[in-house]
Amino acid sequence: MASKHSNWPNPAEAPALDDLAKCVHCGLCVNSCPTYAVTGLEVESPRGRIYLARAVEEGRIELTAAVQGHWDLCLQCRACEAVCPSGVPYGRIMEHARAQLDTAASTGRGGRRLRKFLLRRVLARPRILAAAVTPVRWLANSPLRGIGRRTRLLRLGPALARGEAQLPRHIGKPLRAGDSLPAVLGASETAVLFTGCVMGEVFGDVHRATARVLARQGVAAIASAGQGCCGALHAHAGDLAFARELARRNIDALAGTAPAPIVVNSAGCGAAMKEYGDILSGDTAYAARAREFAARVRDFTEYAAALAEQPAASFPARVTYQDPCHLAHAQRIREQPRNLLRTIDGCDLVETPGADLCCGAAGLYSLVQPAMSAELRSRKASQFRDAAPDVIVTANPGCQLQYEAAVREAGITARVMHIAELLDEAQSAAADSS
Amino acid sequence: MTTRRELVGGLSRICGDANVLWRPEDLLVYEFDGTIERSAPYAVVFPANTEEVAEVVRLCNALGVAITPRGAGTGLSGGSVPARRGVVIATARMRRILEIDPANRIAVVEPGLPNIQLSEAAAVHGLFYAPDPSSQKACTIGGNVAENAGGPHCLALGVTTNHVLGLEVVTAAGDITWLGGHVADTPGYDLRGAFIGSEGTLGIATKVVVRLLPLPASIVTLLAIFDTIEQASHTVSSIIAAGMIPAAMEMMDRTTLQAAEAGLQCGYPPDAGAVLLVELDGIADVVEPQATSARAACMENGAKEVRVARDAATRELLWKGRKGAIGSLGRIAPNYYILDGVVPRSKLVEVMARVGEVSERYGLPIANVFHAGDGNLHPCIAFDEREPGATKRVLEAGAEIMRACVDAGGSLSGEHGIGFEKQQFMPWLYSETDLDNMGRLRGVFGNSGGFNPCKLLPGGTGCGEMAHNDAAIRAAGPDAFV
Ligand SMILES: Cc1cc2nc3c(=O)[nH]c(=O)nc-3n(C[C@H](O)[C@H](O)[C@H](O)COP(=O)(O)OP(=O)(O)OC[C@H]3O[C@@H](n4cnc5c(N)ncnc54)[C@H](O)[C@@H]3O)c2cc1C
Ligand code: SF4
Ligand code: SF4
Repeated sequence: MASKHSNWPNPAEAPALDDLAKCVHCGLCVNSCPTYAVTGLEVESPRGRIYLARAVEEGRIELTAAVQGHWDLCLQCRACEAVCPSGVPYGRIMEHARAQLDTAASTGRGGRRLRKFLLRRVLARPRILAAAVTPVRWLANSPLRGIGRRTRLLRLGPALARGEAQLPRHIGKPLRAGDSLPAVLGASETAVLFTGCVMGEVFGDVHRATARVLARQGVAAIASAGQGCCGALHAHAGDLAFARELARRNIDALAGTAPAPIVVNSAGCGAAMKEYGDILSGDTAYAARAREFAARVRDFTEYAAALAEQPAASFPARVTYQDPCHLAHAQRIREQPRNLLRTIDGCDLVETPGADLCCGAAGLYSLVQPAMSAELRSRKASQFRDAAPDVIVTANPGCQLQYEAAVREAGITARVMHIAELLDEAQSAAADSS
Repeated sequence: MTTRRELVGGLSRICGDANVLWRPEDLLVYEFDGTIERSAPYAVVFPANTEEVAEVVRLCNALGVAITPRGAGTGLSGGSVPARRGVVIATARMRRILEIDPANRIAVVEPGLPNIQLSEAAAVHGLFYAPDPSSQKACTIGGNVAENAGGPHCLALGVTTNHVLGLEVVTAAGDITWLGGHVADTPGYDLRGAFIGSEGTLGIATKVVVRLLPLPASIVTLLAIFDTIEQASHTVSSIIAAGMIPAAMEMMDRTTLQAAEAGLQCGYPPDAGAVLLVELDGIADVVEPQATSARAACMENGAKEVRVARDAATRELLWKGRKGAIGSLGRIAPNYYILDGVVPRSKLVEVMARVGEVSERYGLPIANVFHAGDGNLHPCIAFDEREPGATKRVLEAGAEIMRACVDAGGSLSGEHGIGFEKQQFMPWLYSETDLDNMGRLRGVFGNSGGFNPCKLLPGGTGCGEMAHNDAAIRAAGPDAFV
């Protein structure tokens, strides 16, 4: 709760002073921060951003356009949170700081409104989202795209080119909540596969690969009906009220499947859902249920690595794993995906420097902060050029798209895969050869 | 008289608009370092090279504006806090490694390079840079030079001054000069030695020539858990008496252990009263027998458990708690004030008792971290600055502890520097003549009082208590005088 002298435009959603006060400005986090690494500016560092929030809280400064600019440049990658010895809940602070920007008389207000509208009215509505993705799918898979790129037609508009670069190479059939997955004979466990919003529309192939891998491990995945968008992007953008609403919807929708684990193959969604207990802590009707729900959530790699059954797999290639921020930093899961890859025959796992440094995709970030996003992508591209992997593997859909773009930038031919797809291919290759 | 607009204009002409900060909100985050002192500058400037640094210094001198150098702002004595406002010269854009010469085992780096990046780059050649402050992920080589920084591994190898061969410096007067060189033992006065540890009061280091050492062939780390600080202290003495000089010997007390455990999950037992970390390195034939006798020394002095690490991953785990210890004190209270005293090893237990007594009398929790091998202790007073009068009481308690260190035959600073907060204690250690002579050295480098004012030596004009200068920040427009 904001103090009475504070300059927060939206005091009800203000960052908690207790959270802010945890920062002892020791500076140990600054070099883990991608935006500090690029700019060298204290105002673009976690310590600086927290200090500014504290100054607004204490009424020392107004929430000016400059302050907003510094917060807007934050990727919300939470690398700072993972290294902070003092336990500063940076992710939570920044969500509440962003919640102020909606209300503040500020620059970029029109853009913020549009974003809020799209997040609420498109992302969170399965039918509208499906209708919106259909033409995109057609475009992504169409020969026109290659022509556009070859003839440099796309150069006509930077926005157009940027949009095109964000599109996956190919968009498969969707897999939505309520769709049926192949039955698994003699399954030892049932798990809910979290279908998500964009994930289900654009990355249906990854969902099906996830289900096949789980099936080989003796787990029957079900895409339970009624579940929907996790609300992560809403919370990151500061629309906490709506994020809470989406959390409640998912809690209700999946109540009947308890105590089955909820398996998530998108790191950003998993991180948000593991924190449902936190964002609903003030909601008396839901607080306890939210905590129970959160305790069921598992990242796919976390879950798969812990299962007893580890099928044979073969994938002879030079593979580099790139940590999604919300897996490594928010969920602190680094070893499980690597361990899964290490058990694959022929898979030569190469580490690149800065594998856990944000790629710049960061949800909607690549669209709203194109310059910083491109700089971070270029850094990845040059790492890929040096390491020359055959395959770049990650565990979050947004990162995959950014890596596709980085591969093009590097001028190399590496494949970009979700770890579930790689495991699926590797296991079916081993099964075929035996 | 110069207005802020003119000052910022002048800085922008030298370094470019994009490399000067002047908005009050932006300046606010340059009002602090790792400690509790605060004062915001009029402008922050980010020069790209030596020439730009020199031009900025000359401009500020011409305008009569105070200058404060800044690295990463992790300092623990207020050194980079602009006490008399003026201009902060930040080295953040000068962070390149200019040269690594594995044959001669030296590297030439720019001052803004984070310490850890030097070690990472050297490791490729099988080399490392010895001074490893616990803040090494963030702090810069320039800041290390200014504070003559040490670290856990400086027990056997020495602190920054033992590993810096030469410096290119822009003096307080704005001249560019070299101190020392690319080899050890250059003839003439050792101005390099005088500059290292001068806390940014003589000039700005713009290039640093450092010595690199070969990575040790074999490393064994022991973590011993004790019931009491006394047992751990006696173990330190036994190990030294046995003729060993470990690479590192670090101690933490109960309060620290609990914070570190809460923050970092290092696997310390909840009832541990003290932990001692001992690291031995060298060739395996020497290290292994040493490890055996160090382990025996721990057991003889009552260790409950001794953990041993021989590979990098386990070692990192044992070190994790120590490296993050100070930061994790944020778990005890929102603020901490970290002291940096040195006492003769034999007086450690006695001084610790005084620290405990001060803690009780002031009702302030004090956690203790030590570089035990060289008697450097870091009592950290935990408090909440939002409580009225808290900061003042903390400073008083801190002064009593510093006095206890000096009374025991020790000193005011092991590695964090005197900075702003301890300058008034300098007369405890030095006569007026001693201090006058040091003051004259400033003149030699062209510092007549405006170059990092109010630091290191007592006195100086306009060096009252630093306060939040909010009113000043808000009220002064671009046409206010600096
Ligand atoms: C959690 C934590 C742990 C720490 N552990 C240790 C430790 O183990 N050992 C230790 O010695 N210190 C330690 N420190 C203190 C601090 O990290 C060191 O003093 C470090 O050397 C400061 O470097 P910096 O780049 O942050 O410098 P800053 O804090 O920015 O500046 C420090 C001083 O250096 C001056 N300065 C900066 N750059 C230059 C330059 N290029 N030329 C001339 N002067 C310059 C500044 O004016 C200032 O007086 C710790 C700090 C923290 C927060
Ligand atoms: S966020 Fe954590 S690591 Fe960063 S300055 Fe604050 S306390 Fe230190
Ligand atoms: S979340 Fe990422 S970008 Fe934002 S301050 Fe932390 S490390 Fe920097």
